[in-house]
Amino acid sequence: MQPHLKRAFIILVLVIIGFLFVRSFIVPESFGQYGWYRGDSVAELRDIPVGYAGSASCSGINNECHKTTYSIWVDSRHKTVNCETCHGPSEKHVIDTRVMPEPANDTREFCGLCHFKRAARPADFPQIDPETHGENLKCAYCHNPHKPWFL
Amino acid sequence: MDLSRREFTKFGCRIIIGAAAGATIVESIATLGVAQEESSNKEYDWNEHLWGYVVDTRKCIGCGRCANACKLENEVPFDEPVYRTWIERYRIVREGTEESVKIDSPDGGIKGFAEDIPAEEIKKAFYVPKICNHCDNPPCVQVCPVGATYKTEDGVILVDYNYCIGCRYCIQGCPYGARYFNNEKRTADKCTWCYHRITKGLLPACVQACPVGARKFGDLKDPESEINKILDKERINVLKADLGTKPKVYYVGLDREVR
Amino acid sequence: MAVENLVWGYIYPNEIEIQWSVLIVLYPYITGLVAGAFIASSLYHVFGKREIKPVARFALLTALSFLLVATMPLLTHLGHPERGIEIMFTPHLTSAMSGFGYIYSFYLIVVVLEIWLSFREDIVKNALKCKGWKKQMYSALALYSYDISGKALHDDEKLAKKLAIIGIPSAAFLHGYVGFIFGGIKANPWWSTPLMPIIFLMSAIVSGIALLILLYIAASKLRKKVLNYETLFSLAHYLWVFLILDVALELLEIISMKYESLEEIEIIDRLLSEKIATTFYGVQLTMGIFIPFVLLILVMVMKNREQLKTLMIAVSSIFVVIGVFAMRWNVVIGGQEISKSLSGTNTYVPVFFSQEGVLPAIIILTIPFIILLVLTYILPPWKDMDEDID
Ligand code: HEC
Ligand code: HEC
Ligand code: HEC
Repeated sequence: MQPHLKRAFIILVLVIIGFLFVRSFIVPESFGQYGWYRGDSVAELRDIPVGYAGSASCSGINNECHKTTYSIWVDSRHKTVNCETCHGPSEKHVIDTRVMPEPANDTREFCGLCHFKRAARPADFPQIDPETHGENLKCAYCHNPHKPWFL
Repeated sequence: MDLSRREFTKFGCRIIIGAAAGATIVESIATLGVAQEESSNKEYDWNEHLWGYVVDTRKCIGCGRCANACKLENEVPFDEPVYRTWIERYRIVREGTEESVKIDSPDGGIKGFAEDIPAEEIKKAFYVPKICNHCDNPPCVQVCPVGATYKTEDGVILVDYNYCIGCRYCIQGCPYGARYFNNEKRTADKCTWCYHRITKGLLPACVQACPVGARKFGDLKDPESEINKILDKERINVLKADLGTKPKVYYVGLDREVR
Repeated sequence: MAVENLVWGYIYPNEIEIQWSVLIVLYPYITGLVAGAFIASSLYHVFGKREIKPVARFALLTALSFLLVATMPLLTHLGHPERGIEIMFTPHLTSAMSGFGYIYSFYLIVVVLEIWLSFREDIVKNALKCKGWKKQMYSALALYSYDISGKALHDDEKLAKKLAIIGIPSAAFLHGYVGFIFGGIKANPWWSTPLMPIIFLMSAIVSGIALLILLYIAASKLRKKVLNYETLFSLAHYLWVFLILDVALELLEIISMKYESLEEIEIIDRLLSEKIATTFYGVQLTMGIFIPFVLLILVMVMKNREQLKTLMIAVSSIFVVIGVFAMRWNVVIGGQEISKSLSGTNTYVPVFFSQEGVLPAIIILTIPFIILLVLTYILPPWKDMDEDID
């Protein structure tokens, strides 16, 4: 081989080796642990803190904090509606009761998200005419959000 | 300054040997690290699960609490038009003899759906919740050039936010529009079925938020699970079955207009 | 807000933002120019078409200057440009995009070596002749080895030819795979077609030859030298041949789409008639293909009148270069303007000043010309143009 070709060839080989060398540092250690991805990322994604604690953490299993509200709620028509669906994510409040969750939205529009008359809703779902029902008062004036038929 | 051939080669050899030695050392340190890692994944064994999702479109009331809960739970930019889950409204409208399909999803349904077509004109209307299908044959994972998105052993498609380069090829590759670009992280992002919740025994935020049980989540490997009961009993369908993506979100009562 | 006017029908909520901007239009356009220019130079280096010789080395330099910027639009577009190198470190081989790093690097090596070999004689002569920093530069370029004996040059030429032979498939591969990036996306009916790689390749060759013609004419005018008409007409001839292949494939795609009338035909029709009507029928087909096609036929049948013919070739080439850009636009932007729900369309509104705006696109598109200027200063390819062939 001609000397200049040999030199060009050596440079090429050096570049490739340099590349492999750099690669061996930079590719994360856990890459390929389970598949063609960074194995550590699974643990990272699992460790994200939870925001919604679930109704069971308000009372019942672990504590008795909201015993009254909870007990009327569990056998109301609203038992399928999670506390946090109206009250917002409350895990922080569960861990530390000094952190208060945002107050529940008690506007007509909020109840209306579920209850205003809409053509696309299943017909058997209880719906009301937003214009006429309840004389434009807040819903909680007549209904208890935790047990709609408390009156 | 004519570098002699000898010197040239000698210099080259030195670099090669140095590099090789360095690489070996780094490699051995790397393997040590992996061995210690294993133990932290003990309490949850992903080989025991295969997650699945059932949507009953006949029950959905379009309240949007699922999409709302999702954004709050997963810190999805709230005021940007990006959604891990959303609700579509389909209305088949009759004008005279003409029929047309009107589809919309204002703000992903988070703020509810206003009634803007007179009730008499609507022949049929329903809501369809949408979410990442966590395909068994996921095109988004197929197209990711660096391995920043992957399918876990329990069947969930995840994005590695610390590795994604932000090329957005996966967003193009997803037939369901389930992926979006997260402007805060500058990476692709998508529904994880709340992987941080389901691996702790909780339900995904959207499922927990649904007041009518239109969304169900469970383990396909557990024959007693609620979703397996539904799958055994109901006639189910998946979205865009012809694309061969094998979705794991199963729909009950899916209309032909839904795409 | 204004968003409502841009959207027609229903698009998935996540589709409001168009992900791939004008920069991604630029990327296949630039790699196309590279592939085309390289293949034009191979006409001489591999197929021994001597009438191409005056521009063969010039074409290589053109290919290199565009190749050097081919990564720029991509890197600018990434959400995390600093992680871009992962595509080389951990390429996920099921992805059409993952090959980019390796195919690109391989091709870069081939082009650089090819240029080095074909200019080595000049480099060595300069190294021996020049003084000061120039001497240093040329000596470094010669790798401090100054053998330009007949035997050495002969070996170089043999190797160069081998490289050029490898270069053609890798140029085709580089660009065919860019087509596959789009053609392999089953989610998008406007992209998903097996013809995509080959359409991309043909339009790449067309645009590369057209660019070469334009640069050749410009270089001759700037240097106040006469054009070699034989070279020019033969380039024009190749342009015409590849135009035929190009238009045949592009029409085949549209016709079979319309004929088969699958589920997506309604939205495709809407795309073609409302969204990209001007850029598709107007710029891509009429201006980019039919007008040059007719002009080039005229060039071939006309006798004498070199001035007029040169003008016609120049006009055709300009139209082709614009038309191919429109083609890339129609694919990349057009494909994103239809919703994957197949029931609505969105509109791409280019912004000027932004990371993915028109301004960076313009900057990126001017850089190759600056690089070419520098390259031709270091390695002037002019003597091929000036000496008479035959
Ligand atoms: C349908 C929505 C809804 C649900 C479901 C709901 N709440 Fe409430 N909650 C409200 C509203 C609205 C208020 C504000 C009460 C008012 O203005 O009278 C409220 C007030 C409260 C308060 C403040 C004290 C009070 O009685 O005024 C507590 C504590 C509370 N809720 C606990 C719960 C718990 C625990 C659950 C689940 C078991 C629950 N809520 C479920 C809507 C709801
Ligand atoms: C997240 C959705 C949701 C919200 C918000 C909501 N509800 Fe309900 N509501 C329901 C569901 C689900 C039921 C049970 C329907 C059933 O059993 O068929 C229900 C039932 C009721 C009923 C009983 C209807 C019947 O026919 O017996 C009343 C009354 C009621 N809700 C009032 C309210 C009021 C007042 C508010 C606002 C504080 C409210 N709801 C907010 C979902 C909601
Ligand atoms: C003035 C008192 C009053 C107010 C305010 C009021 N309601 Fe009622 N609501 C009633 C009474 C009384 C009934 C039972 C009679 C009926 O069906 O109309 C009722 C019935 C309902 C029902 C059951 C309807 C059915 O067909 O099963 C729902 C749901 C409901 N209300 C929701 C709401 C919501 C949501 C609001 C707030 C936007 C609200 N109500 C405000 C008095 C009220």
